[in-house]
Amino acid sequence: MIAWLLPPLGLLAGLMLGAVTLTPAEALSLLADPAQPLGQLLWQWRLPRVLAAGCVGALLALGGAVFQGVFRNPLAEPYLLGSAGGAAVGATVALLVALPLPTWLALPLLAFCGAWGATWLVLALARLADGTSVAALLLAGVAVAALLGAVRSFLMLALSDETVSLQAVLAWALGGVQTPSWPELAVLGALTAAALVLCLGLARGLDLLGLGEAVAESFGLPVRRFVALAVLAGAFVVAVSVVWGGLVGFVGLMAPHLARWTAGPLHRGLLPRAAAIGAGLAMLCDGAARALLPPAEIPLGLVTAAIGAPFFLLVLAREARRG
Amino acid sequence: MAEAALSLRGVGHRAGGVALVEDVSLDLRAGEVLGLIGPNGAGKTTLLRLMAGLLRPAPGEIRLHGRPLPAWPARERARRMGYLPQHFAPHWDYTARELLRLGLERGGSAEGLEEVATLHGVAGLLGRRWSSLSGGERARVLAASVLATRPGVVLADEATAALDVGQSLALMRRLRAAAREGAAVAVVVHDLNLALAGCDRLALLHQGRLQALGPAAALAEDARLDAAFGVAFVRVRTEAGLLLSARGGD
Repeated sequence: MIAWLLPPLGLLAGLMLGAVTLTPAEALSLLADPAQPLGQLLWQWRLPRVLAAGCVGALLALGGAVFQGVFRNPLAEPYLLGSAGGAAVGATVALLVALPLPTWLALPLLAFCGAWGATWLVLALARLADGTSVAALLLAGVAVAALLGAVRSFLMLALSDETVSLQAVLAWALGGVQTPSWPELAVLGALTAAALVLCLGLARGLDLLGLGEAVAESFGLPVRRFVALAVLAGAFVVAVSVVWGGLVGFVGLMAPHLARWTAGPLHRGLLPRAAAIGAGLAMLCDGAARALLPPAEIPLGLVTAAIGAPFFLLVLAREARRG
Repeated sequence: MAEAALSLRGVGHRAGGVALVEDVSLDLRAGEVLGLIGPNGAGKTTLLRLMAGLLRPAPGEIRLHGRPLPAWPARERARRMGYLPQHFAPHWDYTARELLRLGLERGGSAEGLEEVATLHGVAGLLGRRWSSLSGGERARVLAASVLATRPGVVLADEATAALDVGQSLALMRRLRAAAREGAAVAVVVHDLNLALAGCDRLALLHQGRLQALGPAAALAEDARLDAAFGVAFVRVRTEAGLLLSARGGD
């Protein structure tokens, strides 16, 4: 129930918060009257921005839930696994290097390749150690994320010139949702819906994988093929979120956990709730990012990190207690 | 003679250059409980994993109901074959109902979940999470989930290892009940007396090879048993049957 309340709450908070803060009644009355100048601003700027943040949050949550299921690790999430970092490197190349492809195509394509490659790299490194244990995966993820961060910084310093604003790329890398046009928002919304359908298609396999590879295989899941498919799907979801929202950490960790606490571990129930919670969290955090230092904006990634890092430590402590 | 539910011909498996299983041929028949016995490292678990299709034999072939194991679609095979692992620890804290549902869905739907739960004596546990179940309750829930589709072949890998005597006997009774309903059951058993009491035939493995295969009572008298375990068994005849007691060793 709480999961389904978060998106409308996040939407309302997102509409209220910003350089000009509104009361709930003001926000709703302006929304109902787009003819007013402030109502126009709300419809043209704040509402699409809030909805875009919601989509990015839902995508991050879906990516996190899929990766947690695939790696059977409650601390797996796009940001910590390095897959978001991989997508960011791909996206940085697309933004800064003159490619024979239009940016609208190169950006998602390279982001996807980066996310996919980084996730496989982390998986391979973790398997070299001791499979999918919390420690192995975290260490591999930290190492890959650090490497990718260095590569991204190098690319930004080496390739940016007067035609590309370094500050704009940096702001994007720190995590932040730009206000999209309504047609752009429609594309993002369609991609988010497609991601939800795609992830729901993985639900049974993720449930079976939670039983361990041997039992999953004996219950009819072709484990290797399924893991490859799920990593591909996860990389797609992460790439879309990074293209639209930059590097936003911890939403992909928190949302699946909160969903699991409310709906249990079966993915048919967990995935839509995680998406709803992720959307709500991202809208709330994006509102806070706009309202904390008006008229300046704090990068969304900083706000989610401020909430997410303590949450991460809490989950880590729980895992350590479980052994 | 009826066709074997599962037949192995010249089955072998190597890992890291070491032969874990070599040239094993045997038939697992419907309605029987076959015990796989042998000292540690004999290849029992590897053989069972080969039988379950979790490892590929090289060389050799395994057929399920006359059809090569790899030729079965994964879901069809899963419906017809149940595998109880040696250690089972789900990564998420599923409820007993969720585990039973995942087992039952191998058959295509989760219908009849309550009936299956009642049949296996876990109806009262359905709402409980895995972390809150005792060892015996976990064994019952896992067995119910694996046996939910009434598979024609049931393979249990030391499923009694973490259980006390009463729980072990209860699990063996459950496997016996599956055999009575027509399943072909193979079970890796460490406790030789449990194997004698619960199995129709025994397959003795040693250093990856099948040393002896025959009715449980006959194999218990076989000197190859003593040789494989490196001990001289004392055979005690009781009203309940033969009991083996190990004396000495080297």
